[in-house]
Amino acid sequence: MEPEKVCSQDLSQIIKFAKLDELLDLSRANSLWPLTFGLACCAIEMMAAGASRFDISRFGAEVFRPSPRHADVMIVAGTINKKMAPAVKTLYDQMLEPKWVIAMGNCAISGGPYVFPGQYAVIEGVDKLFPVDVFIPGCPPRPEALIEGILKLEEKLTGKRRWPTVTPQ
Amino acid sequence: MANGDTPVIHSLQELADQFNKLIPHETLPAASGTTEPAPTSPVQMEDYAAKGYHLNVCVQPDQVVGAAEILDSHGFALDAVTGMDWIAANEMEVVYDYFHPMNSWRVVIRTRVPRGKPEVPTISKVYPGADWHERETHEFFGIVFLGHPNLTPLLLPEDADYHPLRKDFVA
Amino acid sequence: MSAPEIISTSDTPRETFVLNVGPQHPATHGVLRLKLTMEGEYVVRAEPICGYIHRMHEKMGENRTWAQFLPNTGRIDYLSAMTYNHAYVAAVERAAKIEVPLRAEYIRVITSELNRISSHLVWFGAFLLDLGGFTPLLYAFDDREQILDILEAVSGSRLTYCYYRFGGVCNDVDADFVRGCRNFVARMRPRLKMYKTLVTDNIILRKRLEGIGFINSEMCRKYGATGPVIRGAGVAYDVRKIEPYSIYRDFDFDIPTFPDGDCMARYLVRMEEMAQSLRIIEQAIGRFPDGPTLTHGVPRMLKPPAGDYCFAVEAARGRLLVRIVSDHREIPYRVRLRTPCFSNLSLFEEASAGMILPDALAELGSLDLVIPDIDR
Repeated sequence: MEPEKVCSQDLSQIIKFAKLDELLDLSRANSLWPLTFGLACCAIEMMAAGASRFDISRFGAEVFRPSPRHADVMIVAGTINKKMAPAVKTLYDQMLEPKWVIAMGNCAISGGPYVFPGQYAVIEGVDKLFPVDVFIPGCPPRPEALIEGILKLEEKLTGKRRWPTVTPQ
Repeated sequence: MANGDTPVIHSLQELADQFNKLIPHETLPAASGTTEPAPTSPVQMEDYAAKGYHLNVCVQPDQVVGAAEILDSHGFALDAVTGMDWIAANEMEVVYDYFHPMNSWRVVIRTRVPRGKPEVPTISKVYPGADWHERETHEFFGIVFLGHPNLTPLLLPEDADYHPLRKDFVA
Repeated sequence: MSAPEIISTSDTPRETFVLNVGPQHPATHGVLRLKLTMEGEYVVRAEPICGYIHRMHEKMGENRTWAQFLPNTGRIDYLSAMTYNHAYVAAVERAAKIEVPLRAEYIRVITSELNRISSHLVWFGAFLLDLGGFTPLLYAFDDREQILDILEAVSGSRLTYCYYRFGGVCNDVDADFVRGCRNFVARMRPRLKMYKTLVTDNIILRKRLEGIGFINSEMCRKYGATGPVIRGAGVAYDVRKIEPYSIYRDFDFDIPTFPDGDCMARYLVRMEEMAQSLRIIEQAIGRFPDGPTLTHGVPRMLKPPAGDYCFAVEAARGRLLVRIVSDHREIPYRVRLRTPCFSNLSLFEEASAGMILPDALAELGSLDLVIPDIDR
């Protein structure tokens, strides 16, 4: 008997019959634990996203873990320096699979405002070090943008967007 | 905040007189490179509203420690040590800014060294705060501070062998 | 109360080990690495290693026009970006002899003081987080969001403001701004009382901070430490009073000073400073003049007269000096940023010797560091 025939339209929102993979993806998406990796200005907006006004706790992501071994997603918030790059790579390597990376802010995407001819210290984007899943532009991006980035990552995990899109009035 | 030996000064002019005693009269004032005309004398009062400091003192490199000791005895604090690369004049300049925690006096001490051999004695024994400022000036300009306990890079990577703020620096 | 003597219980020589704190660590407020030589739980030597967020601001000063450098100023210390805007803009105005209209000066003072309060609120939340209390962070960020709404409406940014221009400010403010400031002052005063009963008088906080981390005024002077660090050591040094700039002479406010020199003194200085900033904002809103907010006729390609010029302001963390050298071109010859956290951290090695590790971290938090301010 097909599972969909058993459930009525209303109940299908809260009862899921799914393959185990989809269930695991859903649970991972619902509880992404970020690594506390604020480097510069974007870190403050990340903290503001974790505070009570914007509240990423609604999306399961408020448990910031200081240790990379406990974290699922590394939100690279700030500029990566040539001096800092080995440390960032070590942190990425220490994270356990499955792991994801969100590049938050212009500096993490491409070096940001610090790219000029003759620059000697900034890595132009964290994707030069390891693969990135979601890019969030902004200098710094608003906390709502960070939340949208997390929702995009959830969409990448589960295959469909689970929260409504807010359109401007 | 003066100690028992040095006389308490009540005006910037008295401080300027102490500097005049430190600097021999035949010392020529340091040139200013490509900026405004050179000062008319090594110790010069400036207009605070126009420049942001009261007293401008140009010394030879071996007099920076003596100048720092005069200011330390009168309770000044070290604000900043700035390196300047006057590539057109083939010189480098080290500018010491001092402020006073009790009054508004601002003193600037300058010295010039040849660009090929930039060496200045360290003032970190008088002002421990100069330790980090001099390390930073060294790593960005290559100016060697003689007697400094630890002239290793502070902001650049530990193995950096380049001096980024030099005018002829190529990344 | 001095640090306890490290006593060996056996005849074997003392054994030390090296503990690395950072560069990624929740308690270092950014990418600071502390190489701690420890003997058991006691810190024998704490060597701060910086440079992990060095972003070449001074080099960019030599590669940008005077106006193109303005966004950089907001990103050096992003928590009190308005004051950094102010120092740079005022240094160039001093060089090029540009007058600033009175209304623009009032707007600058009000926005700088609002920024000072929001910066202290972030410090407050993060410091309490270091000490182990999570709740004050949420309360502080709630108050901070009120300020950010006001400042975002006039400047467009929440954090890294670039609002001041040569000769004034880029946008005028409206009645919503004035109303928002009045409401904020009325809302914040009872909140400060709430913080006092909830946090400051809390016995756990008092035991963590009182008598810990002595920094005396002579150490501050020798290292050039300013801001709440020197005011917590008993010296009433504030650039707004000692070297008054803008229109601070016209306002009636106190400089809170506490003589003990411990972490609690520095904490109380910052809490009291928020109250004094509210006083300034209230006075400024009360007699807010009309008029233009930007001087006409400032050339887009500004070429200040040759020479060197300095300007000092009281940023949230201490004395900020901007020293510019111009050679009459549209690009500066040199921009030197003397930032407060650089000097404040340089005394940490001497001040933390012999302390137990949690106390050393409490002292580090009480210095209120923003690491990009050190590394520039």
